[in-house]
Amino acid sequence: MKSLLTKAIQVRELSIILLMVIYFLFVGSINSEFTSADTIVLLLNGSIILLILAIGQSFVLLTSNIDVSVGSIMGLSAAVCGTLLTSGANLGFVICIVICVGAGIGLINGIGVSYLKVPAIIMTLGMLGVVRGIMLLYTKGMWIEDIPNYYKKFARLEVWSIPLPIWIGALLIFISYLFLSKTKFGRYFYAVGDNADGAELVGLPVNIVKVLAYILSGISASIASLIYVMNIGFVTNQTGSGIELQVIAAAVLGGVSLSGGIGSVVGAGLGAIFFTVINSSLVYMKMPAYWNSAISGLLLLLIVVGDSQFQKRLKRGAHKNLKKLSQKKITLEESEHEKQTKALT
Amino acid sequence: MKSKLKRLLKWELFLFVFLIGELLFFSMLTPGFLNLQNLLFSMNDFAYIGLAAIPMTFVIITGGIDVSVGSIMGLASITIGVLWMGGLNVWIALIIALFICALAGLLNGLIVAFTDVQPLVVTLGTMFLFAGIALVISGGSSATGYEGISGFPNSFVQIANGITFGLPNSMWLMLFILLFFGGLLHLTKYGRNVYLVGINSKAAKYSGIATKWIVLSTYILAGLGGGISGAILTSYFSSARSDLGTQAILPVITAVVLGGTSILGGRGTVLGTAIASIVVGMMNYGLQLSGMPSEQTTIVVGVMLIVAVLMRQIDLSYVKKLFYKKKVPRTKMVIKI
Amino acid sequence: MGDECLLEIKDLHKQFNGNHVLLGVNFALKKGEIYAMVGGNGAGKSTLMKIITGLYKADSGEMLIKRKAVRFSSPSDAHKHGIYLVPQEPLIFPNMTIEENITIGLKGKLKEQRTKILKVIERVRWDIDINQLGLSLSIAEQQLVEILRGLVRDAQILILDEPTSTLTNNEIDSLFDNIKQLSDNGIGIIYITHRFSEIFMLSHSVAVLRDGKISAQGPISEFTYERLLDGLVPADMKLNLLKENKRDSSTLNESKNKFVEQIGKPILKVDSLCGKKFQHISFSVHEGEVLGIAGVVGAGRTEIAEAIYGIEPYESGTIELNGTTIKRLSIKKIINLGMAYVPEDRHAHGIFRITSVRKNITSTLLHRLQGIFISSKEEDTITMKYVDDLKIKTDGTNQELSDLSGGNQQKVVLAKYLATEPKVIILDEPTRGIDASARADIYRIINQLKEKGLAVLLISSDSEEIVELSDRVLVIHEGVIEKEIRKGQISVDSITSAAFGIKKEVLS
Repeated sequence: MKSLLTKAIQVRELSIILLMVIYFLFVGSINSEFTSADTIVLLLNGSIILLILAIGQSFVLLTSNIDVSVGSIMGLSAAVCGTLLTSGANLGFVICIVICVGAGIGLINGIGVSYLKVPAIIMTLGMLGVVRGIMLLYTKGMWIEDIPNYYKKFARLEVWSIPLPIWIGALLIFISYLFLSKTKFGRYFYAVGDNADGAELVGLPVNIVKVLAYILSGISASIASLIYVMNIGFVTNQTGSGIELQVIAAAVLGGVSLSGGIGSVVGAGLGAIFFTVINSSLVYMKMPAYWNSAISGLLLLLIVVGDSQFQKRLKRGAHKNLKKLSQKKITLEESEHEKQTKALT
Repeated sequence: MKSKLKRLLKWELFLFVFLIGELLFFSMLTPGFLNLQNLLFSMNDFAYIGLAAIPMTFVIITGGIDVSVGSIMGLASITIGVLWMGGLNVWIALIIALFICALAGLLNGLIVAFTDVQPLVVTLGTMFLFAGIALVISGGSSATGYEGISGFPNSFVQIANGITFGLPNSMWLMLFILLFFGGLLHLTKYGRNVYLVGINSKAAKYSGIATKWIVLSTYILAGLGGGISGAILTSYFSSARSDLGTQAILPVITAVVLGGTSILGGRGTVLGTAIASIVVGMMNYGLQLSGMPSEQTTIVVGVMLIVAVLMRQIDLSYVKKLFYKKKVPRTKMVIKI
Repeated sequence: MGDECLLEIKDLHKQFNGNHVLLGVNFALKKGEIYAMVGGNGAGKSTLMKIITGLYKADSGEMLIKRKAVRFSSPSDAHKHGIYLVPQEPLIFPNMTIEENITIGLKGKLKEQRTKILKVIERVRWDIDINQLGLSLSIAEQQLVEILRGLVRDAQILILDEPTSTLTNNEIDSLFDNIKQLSDNGIGIIYITHRFSEIFMLSHSVAVLRDGKISAQGPISEFTYERLLDGLVPADMKLNLLKENKRDSSTLNESKNKFVEQIGKPILKVDSLCGKKFQHISFSVHEGEVLGIAGVVGAGRTEIAEAIYGIEPYESGTIELNGTTIKRLSIKKIINLGMAYVPEDRHAHGIFRITSVRKNITSTLLHRLQGIFISSKEEDTITMKYVDDLKIKTDGTNQELSDLSGGNQQKVVLAKYLATEPKVIILDEPTRGIDASARADIYRIINQLKEKGLAVLLISSDSEEIVELSDRVLVIHEGVIEKEIRKGQISVDSITSAAFGIKKEVLS
């Protein structure tokens, strides 16, 4: 039984669900409103943007890189989306352009990191500034309002009483999961993050994988912006600003390792939901709003530090097994090898 | 010594020339830009960059990074404001604020030095945490973060706005920080240890250097730098806000990297960071003066950051070829059985 | 072994920035042939292999696979032509299963690949669970996975780079059986090694690479140990080496005649030390004594040294330094108590590459200098003293360490530890990868240290070096002291046999 439990914990995704349920019930005991069906739907809805961003970030994290420019990409994409919609452009056209914006910036990030060898934090930090500036230039500092109603209605479009944004999120998780775990190319992301030298030696296109990861991260930011505009209905100066930390927190919470090679998009999605649950729960527990940041920050630190200690312990466990195995192999009898060496000298 | 000096001066010289170029460029955009008085006083505007970047250099030399410095600036600011509003003498409030910032740096340092978590992630987390704490402090005192606390005594406001012996105070402060930290890094045993840890932390360990404590101390310094920087900004604007430093991280890191400090560790100078801080600050200032809104100058700074790193990579190999003749050792093998 | 030629290399040249590594290599591998390749550091072995496996491109010369001329631009090119390199340090994905490790990058359906893997495993009769995770594998198992990678890619030519350096005896047996099997199946194998015994046990032919050329090659039947040695070290060089060493030992003998040989009291006492890779290690070292620690790579000697020095923790036992019991002390304290350890891996643990000679040498001493500021005069005095004493060839104390040759880099590391004025110094492979004259210098230095009354622990995989320098020898085999050899009985044979765990001594 004990080993089953440890195995369950080792399957990160299950342990998150377990933790989430426990936390959920805990908050529910303080404020019963929290566990109502309405709240749950509200929570899911509220977590979609973070979820989609976390999916994109996972691709980058898996390859052992990081992308802190996603907030700015989301902001710029939202601005483009807003202005195009308000000028009456065709919906399909708008979606295309917005996704191209994200993909394009992702491409620039990817080229900088993999071909020009700029460290990921520097490249994406620089782009954070550049893209934010471009956005402000583009919008001339003004908010974008008057988003056409038909678009805003999408947020409330329900299929089987589940709103459209949740369907989009679920679809993205599903596609990403299939891609990463079932296709050959998807596995390359894990390989590159797990051992980049090994990946190169086996003949994998390491640079292309890294660039693709950034493109996917950029696209996820664009899709998130589409949902944002749908949900919120207007675009401000600060749209997306500061969300990058929450995205990374969500992914790490969901078991995506910062050193690469470990984790799944399902985990990242669950992490995003859990993170939103924690944030929202503070309100239900009558905590004043300005405590949010501090507590989230503290939680992130605890999670990240705890995660690294956990991984250390896992590795030590694996090595203990290793030691037992190799000790069995050392026998006391003279081996064939020794006999031959003797015969030679 | 000669070759090292050559390489050293080459980069700092380049930065200095670039700075002159900037000044000339902006003087073309804005008439009357080259007024010496105005230029000197413009330093008040961007002294905060250098004040935070110079101690940050220590952190980056050890191969780490601290992105929480912006939040620490806000923490310093709001602490001064709230304590002063609560009746405490503004100077004592300042000292307490600096102490709290050093503690913040200590937290960063402890986690980075004693766990395996990457400095980037740790400081991303503390960035959030410190910003949150600053918010709590401001919220808890029912001072709205939007307006900020104001009405500071003149003596305090004069730190960032006043003149001493004909030069703006910020300049004196920058000079002092430059000399103090420059001396610390380049002349003391401690500074030498910081370099050694950054060049090869394992070799440092084998050599008996207390690597963990050295790393930890650099984060405390960076925290202090954030505190000083935040205090100066508070004095400059005569307003204490918890979100004072949110946009600061980009110019500060740009200044350090542009100043010649390698993001991989082991290389960097305080002088380089100082000149680069002025370069970055002047860029911001000049662009604003010529009409560009401050948010948009972030594009330029962002580009500068990326270009600075790229240039360092190319520059290093080029410089090597120019100044050093590679010795080709003819190694003979050893008989091993 | 068939007659079909799998691989032919004609007149291969390669240089890096003016450094000529390969100066015209000619080589041919037949179907099913096991070809051993020997050569020292810097001889060009790894460069040659990297060209064959597509990581580098040759400057000139030809490479033919099955009589067709080829030129590879990447490892996957080489794979397509049936060449696979099993690196000395296997590059395994720790968080993936063995199956994923093998199949990643392959074309074709996963199910087909799995069947193929299982077939190959069956063919070579290995006992391995393809669902195991990479990080739970021993080095030996990782090597097997690398070999499997090659086989599943239908490799016809396998290159094994020093495969036995980290294996236990039984694992080596297994490996050799497998290699012979592969050869029976027609696969050509290039086997890079520095172990003569393995060459004679395993290979059909051998080639000796020296200074970028093949200095001797042919069927193994035409070779003896001596001929191999001749190929590795030219006769006159060997003579010079012997002459220089004789010269030093003759001066040593002279001084020995002048003074009574002084081996003083024990400075370092180790009692029943147990750790992860060693058990029940007990010995002592005396003032003025050179204690050689011999054994094969992986026997656990560095682990013992690092435990004594305090870098790694140990499980039980006591260590006494100059009368003081030391346990869990900081490295700085241990240095202050009089012990120094010159690390095995000077690149990773010894040198500060991008800074000056001066700063390297004083890196262990900073806390002993006066005041908070560093006096450059004081620094220079110390640095110059050791540059002179150890004859470090440098343009000046400010020269960057990366510009120095391997031998001089090693001297700098030696200098920085000698500058702490230790009573015990542990040298871990001090002459690995350095040129002959620097090596002679270091031998001279070791003898001088002995004369000064230092206790020296000399860890070396070079049996001749141990014979040359030691007063007493401990041979470590798989983590335990296999044998202690006293003066008068120290010989290459006695050391080698104990290093391989052979109980009885073999007289040559």
